[in-house]
Amino acid sequence: MTGRGGWIGLLYLTPALLFVGAFVLYPLGQLVYLSLTSSSLLGGSEFIGLRNYIRAFTDQTFWHSLQFTIKYTVYITPILMGLGYLLALLTAGTGAIARFTRAVVFLPVVIGLGSSSLLWFWLFDQQVGLFNKLLQDLHIVSQPVVWFVDADVGLWAVIISVVWKVVGFGMILFVAAIQSVSPEINEAALIDGAGYWQRVRKVTLPLTYRTILLTTLISAIGSMLAFDQFYIMTSGGPKSETFTSVYWMYQNSFIYFKLGYGATLSIILMAIVFIAAAVQIALTRRGAVR
Amino acid sequence: MNVLKGLRNIALGAAVALTIGAAAPAVAADSLTMWVRASGANAAQHLVDLWNSGHDQKIALTVIPDNQMVTKLATGVQAGEVPDVISFDLIYMPDFMRAGFLTDITDQMKGDANLAKVAPAYTKLATYKDRLYGTGFTPDVSILIYNKDLFKKAGLDPNKPPTTLDQIHEYAKKIHALGPDIYGFYFSGACPGCNIFTTSPMMVASGAHMLPASADEEPLDGSGVKEVLQLFRDMWTEGLVPKSAQADNGSNFVANFKTGKIGIQGAGGFLISDLKKDVPDMDFGVTFLPGIKEGQASAFVGGDVVAIPKGSKHADVALQFIKWELTDEAQLEGLAKNNILPSRTDLADNKYFKSEPRVVTTAKALGLGYVPWVFHFNDMVNSDSSPWIEMIQAAVFDGKVDEAIATAKQKMKAIASD
Repeated sequence: MTGRGGWIGLLYLTPALLFVGAFVLYPLGQLVYLSLTSSSLLGGSEFIGLRNYIRAFTDQTFWHSLQFTIKYTVYITPILMGLGYLLALLTAGTGAIARFTRAVVFLPVVIGLGSSSLLWFWLFDQQVGLFNKLLQDLHIVSQPVVWFVDADVGLWAVIISVVWKVVGFGMILFVAAIQSVSPEINEAALIDGAGYWQRVRKVTLPLTYRTILLTTLISAIGSMLAFDQFYIMTSGGPKSETFTSVYWMYQNSFIYFKLGYGATLSIILMAIVFIAAAVQIALTRRGAVR
Repeated sequence: MNVLKGLRNIALGAAVALTIGAAAPAVAADSLTMWVRASGANAAQHLVDLWNSGHDQKIALTVIPDNQMVTKLATGVQAGEVPDVISFDLIYMPDFMRAGFLTDITDQMKGDANLAKVAPAYTKLATYKDRLYGTGFTPDVSILIYNKDLFKKAGLDPNKPPTTLDQIHEYAKKIHALGPDIYGFYFSGACPGCNIFTTSPMMVASGAHMLPASADEEPLDGSGVKEVLQLFRDMWTEGLVPKSAQADNGSNFVANFKTGKIGIQGAGGFLISDLKKDVPDMDFGVTFLPGIKEGQASAFVGGDVVAIPKGSKHADVALQFIKWELTDEAQLEGLAKNNILPSRTDLADNKYFKSEPRVVTTAKALGLGYVPWVFHFNDMVNSDSSPWIEMIQAAVFDGKVDEAIATAKQKMKAIASD
């Protein structure tokens, strides 16, 4: 920072630095401090050092919830990305039908996740749910499925609902990326005799690679922080098998009133998500260089 | 450090004020503020309207979503921004009293003739170290509800509801025999709150002690726990309970009974008015939740208590309100007139309930009901991962009755010692 220009630059940055300091760094510092205390929602707090962290490492429900969250992320991310990309390929055109389809697929994105989860919870209901009625009418099942009685079946019910809600977001980003591919490149490939899928594989996919990775990163982080859909649709059941990490933090902080321990769990999850995101960004860079 | 504490309090105060302010109605400067949880808002509104119509100092009611009440009160107390009077789920009383959130009203309530007539469960729950911190406000209580139409079709006497656990089983079998889509019994298998409300009284009626107030107490002790779980297990394996019960987190707690295809189930007094409104043609009866032997009965006393938070700016008027809400006028004209149970048991049989004896039964259940006095009720019972709900699921749906009880005992003791 030498000369007048440096100070002026810093001056321009000040609002952003103040904002980040007040709304990111200060709360983060508070969270770290909270994680080192026995703070209770009902009052009372004592500095207990790393005791919460030691406890977290033996908290089986937390590790199970983390494992379940990773499983959910691993299942849903490829579905969201694959389906989103296919829909983007279908609707990337500028025709009226393509634009209409884009709007229809994107519509659920603007609905709150809580609302959509509640909607799907009742759609899956074994007695009045339309989803079971559809499956029965199509003779796929003979009896209504009780979706949330089994952790795996419940997980797929949640995945179906979230895919419906979120797939339009990825699609819109992919559409933007696909539309930014120069038409000349596609025309050249066409002249060279490349078929549609060849052009998708050899031209469109490589040129939209960075967008795919960025969208995957955003989607994976979102899935790792899943809460609303499980809170509403499975309530963590059966037998606590569908608790996600954030749900377990919520339980500890606001149901068991253990704010300090809840803060500890969130620091641990934040570190895990941070490392996973850093790895993914590093891979993105390697891919871009290649 | 004090500056930091001050800043934190200002921030907390601002957060609470913003949150509450957004939902609160316009309040005159000398008005009292009252917070009430959403599920008790209807009853509270009747009482507050009646108070406001006859008193100069009005009360402005703010409805707080059920699951935000603890957070709001906790942050409010720490920031010094509390309402003058508060009504909340009675089960939080021990935690709030121990945390010092509430005002001791022992001396002021001493000699109040109406206090002695309040359902004993409320007074017991609102007492901590021999000091009183609140009283009953808008009650609810669990009962056994049965479909008289199905009783008649099954050849059972509709005026003789089951009075023992064995009779529930026997009647449920006869009702299920009416058809594959008619079920004898229903309970929400994934709902901890529903089961402590309707299943635990059968255990208590049979002689069980449910939850530990301290680490020294043995939870789930005495006869009744195993018997009730075994009864539910048997009814489950015999197909007397719909399969959907296993996954019901409370969303269908009463919805299934309204279909007319359920013979018997535990429910709350609130269901009487719901059924009369939603299925006016259904003929149903109510009775106490029974135990193993004839003559044993119990209920879970639920609903809301009323108390004065520490820091109330109009504590004297708030106390007047608490005394007033126990009077005949408030109990009868504010609650009973609107088909809401009074918290005083001596008013169970009143002029407004004459035409509805089922409500009288419910009101009487308040007198014989219990409510566990424990800290960490959420951890032990109400949470989605509580030992209570895990025990019910493992025992009823997996058939591991003894193992489930042993595990729950161990976990509850660990929670009580925390």
